[in-house]
Amino acid sequence: MTGRVCRGCGGTDIELDAARGDAVCTGCGSVLEDNIIVSEVQFVENSGGGSSAVGQFVSLDGAGKTPTLGGGFHVNLGKESRAQTLQNGRRQIHHLGNQLQLNQHCLDTAFNFFKMAVSKHLTRGRKMAHVIAACLYLVCRTEGTPHMLLDLSDLLQVNVYVLGKTFLLLARELCINAPAIDPCLYIPRFAHLLEFGEKNHEVSMTALRLLQRMKRDWMHTGRRPSGLCGAALLVAARMHDFRRTVKEVISVVKVCESTLRKRLTEFEDTPTSQLTVDEFMKIDLEEECDPPSYTAGQRKLRLKQLEQVLSKKLEEVEGEISTYQDAIENELESSRPKAKGALANLTRDGSVEDTTSSVFGEDDAEDEELEAAASHLNKDFYQEILGSGLSSSSEGAGDPDGDTRPPALESLLGPLPTAASLGISDSIRECISSQSQDPTDACGDGELDLSGIDDLEIDRYILNEAEARVKAELWMRENAEYLREQREKEARIAKEKELGIYKEHKPKKSCKRREPIQASTAGEAIEKMLEQKKISSKINYSVLRDLNSKGGGGLQEEDAQPEGRTATRKLSRRKTPARRHRADPVTGVGKRLRPMVSAQPAKKAAAGEPLPLSPSTLGAEPARPTAVLVESGPVSYHPEDDPDEDDPDEDDGEPCVSALQMMGSGDYGCDGEEDDGY
Amino acid sequence: PGTTPLYPSPMTPMTPITPATPASESSGIVPQLQNIVSTVNLGCKLDLKTIALRARNAEYNPKRFAAVIMRIREPRTTALIFSSGKMVCTGAKSEEQSRLAARKYARVVQKLGFPAKFLDFKIQNMVGSCDVKFPIRLEGLVLTHQQFSSYEPELFPGLIYRMIKPRIVLLIFVSGKVVLTGAKVRAEIYEAFENIYPILK
Repeated sequence: MTGRVCRGCGGTDIELDAARGDAVCTGCGSVLEDNIIVSEVQFVENSGGGSSAVGQFVSLDGAGKTPTLGGGFHVNLGKESRAQTLQNGRRQIHHLGNQLQLNQHCLDTAFNFFKMAVSKHLTRGRKMAHVIAACLYLVCRTEGTPHMLLDLSDLLQVNVYVLGKTFLLLARELCINAPAIDPCLYIPRFAHLLEFGEKNHEVSMTALRLLQRMKRDWMHTGRRPSGLCGAALLVAARMHDFRRTVKEVISVVKVCESTLRKRLTEFEDTPTSQLTVDEFMKIDLEEECDPPSYTAGQRKLRLKQLEQVLSKKLEEVEGEISTYQDAIENELESSRPKAKGALANLTRDGSVEDTTSSVFGEDDAEDEELEAAASHLNKDFYQEILGSGLSSSSEGAGDPDGDTRPPALESLLGPLPTAASLGISDSIRECISSQSQDPTDACGDGELDLSGIDDLEIDRYILNEAEARVKAELWMRENAEYLREQREKEARIAKEKELGIYKEHKPKKSCKRREPIQASTAGEAIEKMLEQKKISSKINYSVLRDLNSKGGGGLQEEDAQPEGRTATRKLSRRKTPARRHRADPVTGVGKRLRPMVSAQPAKKAAAGEPLPLSPSTLGAEPARPTAVLVESGPVSYHPEDDPDEDDPDEDDGEPCVSALQMMGSGDYGCDGEEDDGY
Repeated sequence: PGTTPLYPSPMTPMTPITPATPASESSGIVPQLQNIVSTVNLGCKLDLKTIALRARNAEYNPKRFAAVIMRIREPRTTALIFSSGKMVCTGAKSEEQSRLAARKYARVVQKLGFPAKFLDFKIQNMVGSCDVKFPIRLEGLVLTHQQFSSYEPELFPGLIYRMIKPRIVLLIFVSGKVVLTGAKVRAEIYEAFENIYPILK
């Protein structure tokens, strides 16, 4: 019993005869539906006498294919791009998944992820293989299989970080939070590969225990789980008297030897490593260690602090030494006679050592002996300062010295470079002259504010003539190839221009995004969309408008559906965009409609055949007449049809119920209604 | 934080002017700025070859990249100068330094004979870092803040936390070091750190 109301008598007692395919009212006897499409199974007899069911196998996704006997090479012919992509993806997922030994359920889930990714346009601009791998890895993570991203990148020969990027993007877009990797998941897999034979289970248990200990010691945060597994398995193997070398382990676990050694060292640093094998199996130490990177960081901090303290002490010591020096010199001065004049002159002129003597504030010559001693003590120190003074800014050189010996600055700065010594005076002059030619440089808003910029410093960054020439020569030599290519390109363009066939290759402009349709009602939106898309000139827009003017939301849904139907009968090419656009106006009407509309693209190819189970038949009543007439003329408007539809719709006032009604009433009885209408 | 001036004196670190919440104690730690990326328009077309051949500190490899890479020592920064006249300046440790460096580059270009101006200076990105001085359990954080965190030890040892307000990305490491990036103003970094500190404890 479908609970429909008979048209003739209004009775609700309607009998459905599945065998004959009728719906008859038992009250007045009027046939409400004829030739109902049934979903019974039919059997035919084989040649051998047995019976088999009539039917074809249709793939779960995608449309039913035309059967090709022995062919099947042109599988993707005549299909929509979306279906092709999905089918392609499915094939690749299965191919890759089988190599990873994933079960069917995982592969199906992966395909679902892929479908989601395609619908969110995440496959655009990315290699299909990457997206497939990301989907598979996502499944592995959610299911908890012991597959690493490294395995996938091994199979595909792709950089693991590239795959990782795609995977992270996929997880973010699909809003799927994959649980964090637990290294314990990998132990059985690696243990099996390391071939422990009968003691496999025991070794695995030991390794698991080791891992848990490592976890409590904060060794696993931020580290590749495979590295930890390798270390745990190595130790476990040794504990059970298995001779597994580091090389064997790293070939299975896929980490570097140094990584493994580092993990072992870190484990060594924990107090647990001090236990014997038996103790370890029984006892669990309470204390937890800090993560190794934290302790390393703390150690570095401490070292730095120590260094600072030491350097300060060093300065103090030096200060002490210098005060002692001064004291000694004073003593010596007072005790020894003054040096002769000639010698004093000699010692005063000349080299670095003189400046050191003047530093001590003694203009008088000193004994050569004392001078030698003083210079020897200070030689390294001052040479360092002067050396650094030549290369870096003058202030830096003066600072360590300036605090203790202010008068030293000028003498120290003496030998520092000047513009003349650097040989850039010419370029300065040039720049200054060129500057005078450009008076507009430094005034007005948006102009360069020169405050705080030292011109000398800037000039140091500009080469002089000779240097510029040398650099130009070097640069030309380096880039000769590039310049040659540029010249050839220009020659080619010039020639093409002469010939008049010069095609300017403009950089690809991204396709103009159509403005989203702004409409207040769904009907308006449909109109605008149709104008844009120019699907058919045969649509009678006045009819459309009239349809819209009548009734509320219920009618608008039907409007969406008639358009859907009319569009369906057109070239299949246009279907997809039409359907897509339809989604937009309809969403304003009711969310309930969305699943139906979005389901339609999936059923595109089957549109030609009758859609017995398609929910889109809800709009079938007004559409069916159009289906018949569409080739010859505009949508025929049957006013007598509409009131019939209106009543059930307007009675309810809510789109939801009316859709249910429509679905309930309209699924098998399209023709019947139509006949009644006529 | 929106009303704070963009270019304070580089000596004093800015503290955010947020009302003190009595429930949580504020961390005594201030993130240090490590890098500032800014752009400026010099307002005129440039001949990169001339600049590259006449400046001491410039490199230009047209086959590899279509810009001159210039460096100055004080403040230690690098600039990418494009032929359209636009310039990107990176490596400065404070907003004022970034502006000063950009002006120096513009000055160099000016001295090389181009009518360079200084239009639309804008700071595009600021990176800060700090140390909370205690180890952080990343797995716990990814469990409690799933929708913001992304932790893939196979790919990167740190946890990537994308804070919504302010829109900052934080890289949180197990050793307690935190890197904050994606800010346009200094206050965003401070605010983000104040937000994350109670979560980490």
